[in-house]
Amino acid sequence: MNHEELVNVATEAGSLLLRSGAEIYRVEESMLRIFEAYGVPDGDVFAIPSCIYVTLTTPQGAPVTRVKRILNRSVNLDLVDRTNDVCRRICREKPPLAEAKRLLDGAAGRPVFGLRAQLLGSPLVGFFFCLFFGGSLLDACVAAVCSAAMRLLIAGLERYRVNAFFCNLCGGAVSGFLTLAAVLLGLSVNTDTIIIGALMNLVPGIVITTFMRDMMAGDVVAGLIRFSESLLVATAIALGVGVSLVLPRLIFGV
Amino acid sequence: MEYLQCLYAFASCVGFCILLNVRGQAILWTSLGGAIGWFFYLLCAPAQNDILQYFVGTLALAVYAEVMARVRRAPATGYLHVALLPMVPGGGIYYTMEYGIAGNTEMFLETGMHTLGIAGALALGILVVSTLARVLTLWGEERQRRAAPRGR
Repeated sequence: MNHEELVNVATEAGSLLLRSGAEIYRVEESMLRIFEAYGVPDGDVFAIPSCIYVTLTTPQGAPVTRVKRILNRSVNLDLVDRTNDVCRRICREKPPLAEAKRLLDGAAGRPVFGLRAQLLGSPLVGFFFCLFFGGSLLDACVAAVCSAAMRLLIAGLERYRVNAFFCNLCGGAVSGFLTLAAVLLGLSVNTDTIIIGALMNLVPGIVITTFMRDMMAGDVVAGLIRFSESLLVATAIALGVGVSLVLPRLIFGV
Repeated sequence: MEYLQCLYAFASCVGFCILLNVRGQAILWTSLGGAIGWFFYLLCAPAQNDILQYFVGTLALAVYAEVMARVRRAPATGYLHVALLPMVPGGGIYYTMEYGIAGNTEMFLETGMHTLGIAGALALGILVVSTLARVLTLWGEERQRRAAPRGR
């Protein structure tokens, strides 16, 4: 059997999982199970959110190593689901490696909701969270508009590869400014509920679940990385909104 | 009337499902977790302690997530990720920031600590259920392994 090919297939599976926001233990276990399925019991995998290191030893005693850097991560729960399925299938049926590679490519090629669907999703989030936090119907409509504007801006910034900190900061600032504009126009009064509702769109960046599950499974390094990321996102959101609330006060003295 | 919030939580989870690319029937099941979490939060309202309420809510949705993961043979990741979002103290973070800007240090610290407490309750709830689920799974596998030779 071709061990180089096996390492490539396992790394592909691991990187798909890691890229779409799976926990570290899921990544490592899936890769080790693939090795076991093909009769290599002594593979070693080490993964952190931004990188996978994998080594196995051929029967001749030569190590095969691969380092896979994960640069773009975005949560894609459908991809986690599918890749997990494919990994189980690979372990169960042990198809030829070329076939396994094809299965993984099939999972990676699944459709993703585009910008249009996202522009539908984020107003939904903003609208209902505003109601959830006790806003009126009009407040909720303003929050929906804020969310859509925020999503559009962030999509634009991401196209130019602006970093996540700045994206969240701008997102927070825009929702704050738009809300203040709505209040000045006399459309609504509850600044707080509107801003909170719109900001909930950015909250998925704060991955409490994933980092707790990482920590608990013993991947402390990965957990710390994700924890610092969450802290950065939270700071960025707060800073962005803070700017939008303070600037008008400084300029207009309201 | 209060329980209308569960419906709002459900609907906003549907929005998150679109943002996080959950597809097909899974949208329904995933969003239901958010509503269940908030339902248990409201159910514990007589306790007069919102950190406890958050803890119980998280326990409920984490149990739901682990059960659904077994029933629908999908990773629990998705169910937890989306269902926890309505529980995240967005309001707390916002008010903390607002007090910080206003220079109200006392309230800033108080709200900040309270928000941290809520985050801790969420984390603890997930930790308890995930650990139990892992232990139970390993226990089940061990029992199967031990039962197999005897059965032959």
